[in-house]
Amino acid sequence: MSEVVTVTIDGRQVEVPAGELLIKAAQDRGTYIPRFCWHPRMKPVGMCRMCLVELETPRGPAIVTACTTPVSDGMVVHTRNETVQRVQEGVLEFLLINHPLDCPVCDRGGECPLQDHVMAYGPGESRFVEEKRHFEKPIPISDLVLLDRERCILCARCTRFSEEISGDPLIEFTDRGNGVHIATFPDLPFSSYFSGNTVQICPVGALTATAYRFRARPWDLTAVESTCLQCTAGDRISIQASQNEVLRILGVDVEPTNQGWLSDRCRFGFQYLGSPERLATPLLRDATGDHVEASWSEALAVAATRIGDVLQRSGGQAVAVLGGARLTNEDAYALSKFARVVLGTNHVDAQMDDGLDPQFLAATVDRARIGDLETAKAILVWGPDLKEEHPTLYLRVRRAAQELGAKLVVVHPRRTGLDDRATHKLTYRPGEGADLLTELVAGTGRAAEAREALAEGPVVGLVGRAGYGEDPRLAEAVAAFVRTLPDGKVLPLARRANVYGALDMGLAPTLLPGRVSVAGEGADAIAEAWGGLPDHPGLDARGILEAAAAGDIEVLILVGADPVRDVPDGDLARRALETVPFVVAIDQFLTDSSRVADVVFCADGFAEKEGTVTNLEGRVQKVNRIVPGPGQTRPDWSILDDLARRLGVELGLTSAEAIAKEIAEVAPAYRGVTWERLDWEARDGIVVPEEGHAPLRYVPADTPGARHGGDLVLHLARVMYDDGVLARHSPALAGLAPGGAVFLHPDDATRLGLGSAEQARVVTEHGEATLPLRMDDTLHRGVVYVPFNQPGVPPLGPGPGVTVTPA
Amino acid sequence: MGIYPAGAMSRWSPETRERARSILARYPEKRSAVMPLLYLAAAEEGYLTDEGMAEVAEWVGLTPAQVQSVASFYTMYKREPTGRYLVSCCTSISCMLLGADEVLAAVEDEAGVPAGETDEDGVITVEHVECIGACGGAPAVQVNYELIEGVTPDTARELVRWLRSAAPDSVRADEMQELFGTRRSFDWAIAEHAGAVGPYPAFEPYGTTDGHP
Ligand code: SF4
Ligand code: FES
Ligand code: FES
Repeated sequence: MSEVVTVTIDGRQVEVPAGELLIKAAQDRGTYIPRFCWHPRMKPVGMCRMCLVELETPRGPAIVTACTTPVSDGMVVHTRNETVQRVQEGVLEFLLINHPLDCPVCDRGGECPLQDHVMAYGPGESRFVEEKRHFEKPIPISDLVLLDRERCILCARCTRFSEEISGDPLIEFTDRGNGVHIATFPDLPFSSYFSGNTVQICPVGALTATAYRFRARPWDLTAVESTCLQCTAGDRISIQASQNEVLRILGVDVEPTNQGWLSDRCRFGFQYLGSPERLATPLLRDATGDHVEASWSEALAVAATRIGDVLQRSGGQAVAVLGGARLTNEDAYALSKFARVVLGTNHVDAQMDDGLDPQFLAATVDRARIGDLETAKAILVWGPDLKEEHPTLYLRVRRAAQELGAKLVVVHPRRTGLDDRATHKLTYRPGEGADLLTELVAGTGRAAEAREALAEGPVVGLVGRAGYGEDPRLAEAVAAFVRTLPDGKVLPLARRANVYGALDMGLAPTLLPGRVSVAGEGADAIAEAWGGLPDHPGLDARGILEAAAAGDIEVLILVGADPVRDVPDGDLARRALETVPFVVAIDQFLTDSSRVADVVFCADGFAEKEGTVTNLEGRVQKVNRIVPGPGQTRPDWSILDDLARRLGVELGLTSAEAIAKEIAEVAPAYRGVTWERLDWEARDGIVVPEEGHAPLRYVPADTPGARHGGDLVLHLARVMYDDGVLARHSPALAGLAPGGAVFLHPDDATRLGLGSAEQARVVTEHGEATLPLRMDDTLHRGVVYVPFNQPGVPPLGPGPGVTVTPA
Repeated sequence: MGIYPAGAMSRWSPETRERARSILARYPEKRSAVMPLLYLAAAEEGYLTDEGMAEVAEWVGLTPAQVQSVASFYTMYKREPTGRYLVSCCTSISCMLLGADEVLAAVEDEAGVPAGETDEDGVITVEHVECIGACGGAPAVQVNYELIEGVTPDTARELVRWLRSAAPDSVRADEMQELFGTRRSFDWAIAEHAGAVGPYPAFEPYGTTDGHP
């Protein structure tokens, strides 16, 4: 692979890797060859002819497409001689035959590859005087993407993306000759979770995004590079704004994470930032119980007085903090310090009852990197449906299986987005995963073949909880198994924004900043730096809510947390919030939870503050600010610092950057991680810990957890679009939630007398709902699947027990 | 693939499904069977409906959009209903030089509809097509893709009248050549006995023949 050949490009001799495509080799050595159809992340097709160059061959000069020609030793290439210039002019004249040149009213105008190439390489004039083709314009090909067919230059980037990259080829060329155009099938829109990528890679303005169309001209936009927090992969993005309003998000191509691609949730999920419902002032409750606007000092004073009273009377044990997964590391650190030092409590949890051990998520030994998927011989995905919960990771696994030849074993209670690329697919009933794991470990029964597929390493295991009906310990047992495989590494999966960063900053009852266990090595140093730590055992999110509902918590602080909607047992959360005498919320919106808060502080959101975040492999990257928050919002750290001061404690927090420096000193795993390095030398982020700075090395527990006996088990799992507060306030996404439904295997439906029913009644230990009934023959028998947090569906709780009856 | 409505009940008859299975079995890659299955789908419903394409998609593991892409590229997959007899007049160069335009005009006049349309009774669809590979016997005409060579404007009119009056269940190239053709490009050696029963080529394994060898 590392063999090098010598090529002469425009008279200049350069050394390039053997076998590389000429267009890429030339680009890497400083010669840009124009192109439309070639994309570095997709296979070449040679469709547009823009990249034609002249090769010297023994039989004389030959014109070839640089995007399909691999370099060979001694090759002599001309990219700008007279012949090539004539050829380029010809190609562009042809491409413009049917192109409308409506640049003044086209979103792409100003950043359009066709426009730019015509300027740089075009003939300047066209001889075509006949009628161009016309189409109805624009037509929606999905809820998010519009198509102006007459602008299309038939480069097939969009269709290849949908087939090669995202695996949902719902758009294709249709008709022939002069009539060829991009089309979807009737009543089958391009409803891909990744449709927005086609807008970004279309070299003309044929594909535009409904959310951005006619909103700005490229030259009016300012941009800043940042990291997306819609999933935990840490995708690089460019946030683009005009006049203090974020208008679009584009993917940035970096090797370690998203390789340029984004899910539509990531691309279009920013609109909540500009929502008129954003909180812009602090709120207090008046005598009648209504929220009224308050000044910062009023609100802080009320909060400080009430919290101070409780601390004096009952101590830190009576105070709890929920949330923090949406914060930057700096804000999370401030919250962690605030909780431990000011409140004196270990009742902190950013994980909101997702169930996995925080130490497992933060510090698993043999943790894999996303990049390990490129070299993996085998991949085991046992956990959530990656397509629904980890979309860009899904693309990476898909690529590994489809393009790089890795064997892929997928284990899930029903169909997943990766099934069509899986070498082996196993389904099971949540609660019986232990039995299947035993078979997989032993290589017996129906897992025998899958076990064989995992025999050759390196193996990467992506493990998490398939759904809320699953015993969380199963994931750890699976991880323990992966570690026994040849060169086996594990990516433990959690899905909330910056949850890995929050855990690394100690927003878990058993963790302190820098992957230090509250009772373990390194805790003393932090105690010294902070001037003491609470010594009572902390409660996790479930424990906090249960204690609160039982009346044992007197102050509950919610930080960007909406437990009513966001924990599986929303009913418990509701009771907890009703019982706690004093609730403080730091948030961007009034949610079903913060609506009952006594004090609400308005906080800066994503794109409104600078900081760092940590992704699921432990990669620390910058997020950057491009717009101010609305009204009087403040960063979380400064709210907490102010509150601390009023409670008589100096936290010494002066700016996010200063906090970052403190983290780099106090938190062992983050030693040496500074903004300066991240901004300059380490643009792709730094995977922590760098050598030798990790006190906690968590070994996954090899106990597969409890077995569930009942006749039916509940599989309650997340899907891409739900009724979360940010999605609800992002118009582009708000309508995309599929809605509540209960899925049964047809055999089960028949057995339960629901063969032809349209609705069914679902009853669990924690709730009940009447939902539309859908048949799903990919479900394992005996499993009842309900998508989590859909509009209008009451919470059904975390337990596996469920009954389904005619409505 | 699980990305289009899966599990939709097959609209095809048991025989068609059996045929689909046997065709699929011949290809190492399922998707390679898309073209023969499109003929099956067309024969099943008389033309290629959206439902037919969606069903083919399920059989071959493509998406309906991909199947539509293939189907719309080839003009011989009719995506609109045609008459019982599809009369295709070649107007490419060899035929044109030997009077194809007059032949086409005669067919249009006798059928009462211009090329591209179907007569009121749904009996005859007229179209003009590019070279159909019978240049040596130009001008050439096909009925349901069964070939007649050396057609004159007069025999073309007779052909249309015959289709209307005799209303054959199936059409056979040899028989029509005998009745309406003149000069042939060459002797096509093995006589083709099976006749075509609709606007799709007569293929025994696809069930698009009259079934009498
Ligand atoms: S719509 Fe855009 S990306 Fe798709 S083929 Fe046309 S020009 Fe290429
Ligand atoms: S870039 Fe090479 S043909 Fe399009
Ligand atoms: S030109 Fe008519 S058959 Fe070839």
